[in-house]
Amino acid sequence: MKYTQWLLLAGAVMLIVPLSLRAADMKVIANPSVSASAVSADDLKDVFLENKDSLGGSHVDPVLEKGGPAHEAFLKVLGKSDAALQTYYRSLVFSGKGSMPKALASDAEVAAWVAKTKGAVGYVSGDASAPGTKVLEVK
Amino acid sequence: MGAKVSGTTVWQLRSAVRPDHPHTEIIEEFFMKGFRTHLILAALVCTASLTARAQEFRVFNRSVQVHGSLSQGFAYSNDNNFLTMKTSDGSPAFTDGALNLSTSITDKFHVAAQAYDRKVGQLDDFRPQLDFAYGDYRFVSWFGVRAGQVKTPLGLYNDTQDADFLHTWALLPQGVYPLDLRSTMLSHTGVDIYGRIPLKKAGKLAYAAYAGERSFDNRGGYYIFSSDLGMPITSASGRVTGWDLRWTTPLKGLTLGSSWIDMTQNRDGSYSQAMFPPHTAYKATSAPERTTVGYGDFQRGKWDFAGEYRAEDYWLSILTPSFGNSVFLWNGSNESWFLAGSVHAMKRLSLGVYHSNFHVDVPADPANKATNHIYDEVATARLDLNRFWTVKAEEHFMDGYGDLYSAHGFYERSNPNGFKPRTDMLMLRTSFFF
Repeated sequence: MKYTQWLLLAGAVMLIVPLSLRAADMKVIANPSVSASAVSADDLKDVFLENKDSLGGSHVDPVLEKGGPAHEAFLKVLGKSDAALQTYYRSLVFSGKGSMPKALASDAEVAAWVAKTKGAVGYVSGDASAPGTKVLEVK
Repeated sequence: MGAKVSGTTVWQLRSAVRPDHPHTEIIEEFFMKGFRTHLILAALVCTASLTARAQEFRVFNRSVQVHGSLSQGFAYSNDNNFLTMKTSDGSPAFTDGALNLSTSITDKFHVAAQAYDRKVGQLDDFRPQLDFAYGDYRFVSWFGVRAGQVKTPLGLYNDTQDADFLHTWALLPQGVYPLDLRSTMLSHTGVDIYGRIPLKKAGKLAYAAYAGERSFDNRGGYYIFSSDLGMPITSASGRVTGWDLRWTTPLKGLTLGSSWIDMTQNRDGSYSQAMFPPHTAYKATSAPERTTVGYGDFQRGKWDFAGEYRAEDYWLSILTPSFGNSVFLWNGSNESWFLAGSVHAMKRLSLGVYHSNFHVDVPADPANKATNHIYDEVATARLDLNRFWTVKAEEHFMDGYGDLYSAHGFYERSNPNGFKPRTDMLMLRTSFFF
């Protein structure tokens, strides 16, 4: 294999591995009342930034994790650091244009909340158990 | 801590800073009467930041969120006094706070209200004000309606200008967001429509359009400088219409926007000095009062660059009925802009600089170059002590003090011996929020 081909291969690996890791790091879950079974990354971002409050015709309410690997992975989807995300939510609150989403401490808490709350959408680690919820495919 | 800081102790501290300062009586009075209060407030900020969290309670099975903030500042300038504080002596008369409640009545209907309170020098004097209180019905993501007292969407920061903890800066660029004139464009009582329209590959466009009654604050800078000029205001009212467009561009992190606001003003007052005998009534109406705004923000990684330009076409027609209905047309038009850059240098430390520019089109004293502008070069360090508590240190290097009629921080009443052309000022500010 020529040097440039090795370089291209290395580049492809560098690009693909983080994406697959990101996907494996977390999954998006929703209450069964949410009619959508898939969501685009753009719509998902809009839901969590409170620019959009419905998916597939169902009202949705985002729920966050306070920290951990799933939260770190989800921040990459949003394209914001945790501090920037908190500042964003506070700017909604103190301008009156939104509220602070519920933030829970663990995968188990998020999964339990999403399972019992109509319209709730959250994220948990890719290997976390989330009974009573449905997984939304992120397109 | 507050009890240990006696006036004498603090005076010794201040003597170390400026041993040649002659106004010992003023300083002692200032420390005895004011400093302890502000120390207590600062201590309250510290304590609250360690104990409080956002609160939530339930009413009729609906969750009500409670948020708040408390901020304490200290300003120390070399010569001119700024924002009606005695900054040349070092002033802690800079306190503000907000309390915010919000809830969703239904999935589509959201209500929110915020009370705001401040004392900045002679501005506002801890009199609580309603910042906003309204209902918001979002039909779909591209169309919603807000009604009530609503914060006016204008430029980058108009609706968040009171929440300093959202910004790197202790003071927002004062040319564009003058703290003393905050109420003149802060909010309106009326109706807004708003939404966010996807433009496919071209990004997204957020819009807002509004109409209503404008807000006035009779303890704000507008009233104070009118009083200083011998034209105290007894009543003021007016309407406001405007729009804001904010384009999230396809280039990641880049937002561009434009705003426009048209205001009317019907002001009544009576002369206390100036060209007419005392108690002579006058009426002032805007003819017109319009502001056009362009702005942009680019965020990438740890970096944030922002800029905003405003052109205010501001004329007042001043009528004095008892003197043959004589009309005087006053031109207060001005331009302002800023460019800012900041970096999240470390996990808890942000650094930033900005240049703020305020220019008066027709100053009252054209021969004095310091009256037609205020340029402000600023460097800031912000330290996030925890998720709820920030401390900022900021240095301002100001050139010019603006027109007699422009306010923007410089007032005759707090500078009775006249103004110096330059002002250097250190600003410290700590804020707690939850």
